[in-house]
Amino acid sequence: MSLLIQCPICGRRNGYEFRYGGEDKGPYPDGPSISPAQWYDYVHANTCRAGVVREWWCHRQGCGLWFTLFRDTGTNVQVSAPEGEQ
Amino acid sequence: MKRRLSLPTRRVDLQRRIPFFYKKRTCYGVKGDTIATALYASGVRIFGRSLKYHRPRGLYSMDGECSNTMMTVDGVPNVRTETTLLREDMVIEEQNVLFSARNDLLGFMDRLDRFMPAGFYYESLHKPAILWPMAAKMVRKAAGLGHIDPGFRFSGICDEIYPAADVCVIGGGPAGMSAALAAAASGMRVILLEARPWLGGSFDYRLYAAGETMPLYEQAGELSSRVASNGGIRVFTRTAMVGGYNDNLVTAVTEGTPEDPFDYRYVEIRTKSVIVATGARERPLLFENNERPGVMQPDCALRLARTYGILPGRDAVFSVGHDFGLEAALDLSDLGVSVRAVADVRKDGHDPALLEEIHRRNIAFFPGWAAALAEGNKKVNSVRLSQIGTGRSRAFSCDLLAAAAGHTPACEPLALFCGRLAYNETTGYFLPGKYPPGVFAAGRVLGLEAPTSIRASGEWAGHEAAAFCGADCHAAAKDARKALDGLPGPHAGSNWIAHPGPGRKRFVCFDEDVTEKNVRQALARGFDVPELIKRFTAAGTGPGQGGISGHNLPLLVSALTKKNAAVPTTVRPPLRPVLLSAYAGNGREMTKKTPVHEAQAKQGAVFRRVGSWHRARYFSADLDVTEEVANVRSNVGILDASTLGCFRIFGPDALSALQRVYAGDMSAIRDGRIKYAAMCNHDGCVIDDGVVIRTGTNDYRFTTSTGRAGETGEWIRYHTRFEKWDFHLVNLTDGTGVINLAGPRARDVLEKITDADISNEAFSFGSWRAFRLAGGIPVTCMRLGFVGELSFELNIPASFMQAAWDMLLEAGRDMALRPFGVEAQNVLRLEKGHVILGQESEQRTNLLDLNLGFLWSRNKDIKPVGADALGQAESDPNRLTLTGIRMADTHAVPPDGSVIVNNAADRRVIGYIGTIRKSAAVGAVVGMALVEGPYTREGTRLAIYDGHSNMNVFQHATVVRMPFYDPEGERMRI
Ligand SMILES: [Zn+2]
Repeated sequence: MSLLIQCPICGRRNGYEFRYGGEDKGPYPDGPSISPAQWYDYVHANTCRAGVVREWWCHRQGCGLWFTLFRDTGTNVQVSAPEGEQ
Repeated sequence: MKRRLSLPTRRVDLQRRIPFFYKKRTCYGVKGDTIATALYASGVRIFGRSLKYHRPRGLYSMDGECSNTMMTVDGVPNVRTETTLLREDMVIEEQNVLFSARNDLLGFMDRLDRFMPAGFYYESLHKPAILWPMAAKMVRKAAGLGHIDPGFRFSGICDEIYPAADVCVIGGGPAGMSAALAAAASGMRVILLEARPWLGGSFDYRLYAAGETMPLYEQAGELSSRVASNGGIRVFTRTAMVGGYNDNLVTAVTEGTPEDPFDYRYVEIRTKSVIVATGARERPLLFENNERPGVMQPDCALRLARTYGILPGRDAVFSVGHDFGLEAALDLSDLGVSVRAVADVRKDGHDPALLEEIHRRNIAFFPGWAAALAEGNKKVNSVRLSQIGTGRSRAFSCDLLAAAAGHTPACEPLALFCGRLAYNETTGYFLPGKYPPGVFAAGRVLGLEAPTSIRASGEWAGHEAAAFCGADCHAAAKDARKALDGLPGPHAGSNWIAHPGPGRKRFVCFDEDVTEKNVRQALARGFDVPELIKRFTAAGTGPGQGGISGHNLPLLVSALTKKNAAVPTTVRPPLRPVLLSAYAGNGREMTKKTPVHEAQAKQGAVFRRVGSWHRARYFSADLDVTEEVANVRSNVGILDASTLGCFRIFGPDALSALQRVYAGDMSAIRDGRIKYAAMCNHDGCVIDDGVVIRTGTNDYRFTTSTGRAGETGEWIRYHTRFEKWDFHLVNLTDGTGVINLAGPRARDVLEKITDADISNEAFSFGSWRAFRLAGGIPVTCMRLGFVGELSFELNIPASFMQAAWDMLLEAGRDMALRPFGVEAQNVLRLEKGHVILGQESEQRTNLLDLNLGFLWSRNKDIKPVGADALGQAESDPNRLTLTGIRMADTHAVPPDGSVIVNNAADRRVIGYIGTIRKSAAVGAVVGMALVEGPYTREGTRLAIYDGHSNMNVFQHATVVRMPFYDPEGERMRI
């Protein structure tokens, strides 16, 4: 957790202050037709990609905000948004 | 031994004698000594015995890079005596010896190496299986260095600091100091780390001037006084870097001196830029018996003399591969050591000035030669030098063999920041191919040898680092680069390894007793890269973490496999052995106390830690809660429940947020009524329970369990993160105290201190009222029944807690009102079959398992977290289900968590106990357990294995209905 994280409200802070909230998989799948397998995939299956991943983080020892950022999982540092994403 | 007095480089104070105990006799060192130098000065040559073969081992490197000189000091095993400062009255003992290091009765192990090839432990001793426990015991006894008494408690003081810097320079030698000064000149805040007690690095103990007028030690002194007077540089000496992480986080540990208020201090540095100037160390020369006491690195021999005033030997032979080795031979010769011969693996390329001096002193010089064998039973008494290629050899008697194959960079910090290292053809060094942003290197670590180049590279790195941090010094950086390019570049290093031969007693790794022969054995087995050979032979896995074996292993592998130079094995933190206590830091307990903590302490409370709080668990010294329980059941008691989480949520979408996280329907809360509610995670597993009340329009209060209060805010915001809901959440936990007034006479007590109508008609079970106590203390009062009696749960602003607590005690004095603790509550609620999450449940326990399915509302507009999983779990009959059990024996109470097995022959595990207690009200030992569905029918007999008794002895219990006490719940409704 040595990485530094840019909180949209508080600025660049020590990674210790944040909680990791998993890969960004978009809003909860909804509706009566959700199969157990779909739900399982949404909750537990991750891409675990080595590279730039969009993730949720919470500034828990700061402003409390949940926000997404891009992290290079190979080097474990926050990186700027890849081309075409924001 | 008499020490040299008149040395300008001396770092010890000969006037200040320090007594210590070695092998039960008193010895003396002087102020500034390390344990190792004090022992060496006292004549000790054999410091300990090696791990596997019990070979005698002595002083070798002076920087704690191997286990040779590890000893037990004041009961602490494996103290690196080379780097640990001597303190008064230290008790120093040898380790890994039977009898003594000099006459070790396990010394015969050295002759058994044929029977213990590489991988010996992996390949033998595990068959037949029945022998393994015995073999494991033997191996354990033989393996590992040092012994620690299980009752031993580290008594030292550990501290921690977290400084920040623009530039962190690792290594306080000439390059590091130059870098720090250059960076500070641009206004940077600089931290300079140095593992030794003083700045100066390799210049500190050298009289050599390399063609300049000022000898190197004076150059070091001049630089270090400039550093000391520079307000922008914070210097940490005795501070070794132990870790380097992404985004340039540096960790280090300072070893305290008697003057410091700590013994070890963990230092974690957040820095923008890092400059690695850790210099070079000598690469061990491999020859037969290359680790016999009396063999040491030239740098070690020179420092013994120059820094500590101790002559390392009388008659010396040098076998070197670098100019520094020649310089050391000359200087030691000038100090009075008789140098019998100097061999150098290089045929040419020597510094001509040094060669001239060697000839001038008539020292026998052998270019293209190297040591082949050290002889002597326990200490070196002669050395055989041999010509490379021809095998011609000559023997010299000596008591000191200063040997090194050349220099190799101390590049571990660079490896931590830069990843893989690559072989550099010019220097023969392993260096990073690519540096991450903000990381720079300077000095000898890059292969620079000329003092002017070393300093200039530091200046360049310092300017570059400052520029990286945003300083306007690009021109200075450019000029520094130009200056550096005009000076001598990296030196051509030697990559010579060893004479041909089986290498049976050529030790690649001292810590693990790994020889060249072992490496050959590993290669023969097909382990063809250093990473694999390291694992198979254990080379580099000891306390030195590859400090000695590090670069010889890949060079040796590449020489033996005739492949291009392999890369060294992966470097991982900590770079030096660090006591876990040092990582643990000052260990200050960070806990909260409730507003009535002191009041309860005075009433005899025994506190236990619960989450981040101290809670009163018992009100009796013998931890017996029988009376506390009985007083609540038959009379009245008060409990401090201030640690419960307390939240306010308000705003237009507050209800939506509650609907999302609570399983039940929060839109159905009636005015003045309390809603019991539970939160699940995505798997339907219960994470929290509490109550919710509505205090106004779009305004709610809710409680959480003690342990969840800290995370509840995150939880609610997480599960609403995709919505644009408008609500505010306030954690009121620390500002709100809670007193639970419970027992049949609770109303009689409360009536005395409030004018509010608290009759059962006006204020019934399951509702809440806001009113004031005497003196105007505002309370939100809830009628809940966790302990199963008439009870008023008073939520009070924390600042009024003490007053309210005292008032209640006073009001209840003639009714024998007494406080009760969390353990009494535990028994009371158990009798009622009320669960405590985390006690009756674990990670995998869902709402249905706890028979709390009624808390789940399926028809909400907003689907609650966990609903999908609960829907799927509903049809699973084999889940563990909360079950009441009653022990057959009325006295024996198995521990919480005991395993429940079936009564069939296989004794399969079918569940476990959450909480079990002896209940006076029930007249039996009763408990709540999670048991597989088919075993939960009333009357089913269960067997309980309590873990303490014999494997085949079980206690018996029967499944019974819950609640155990007052099943209709009449008592809480009065
Ligand atoms: Zn923030």
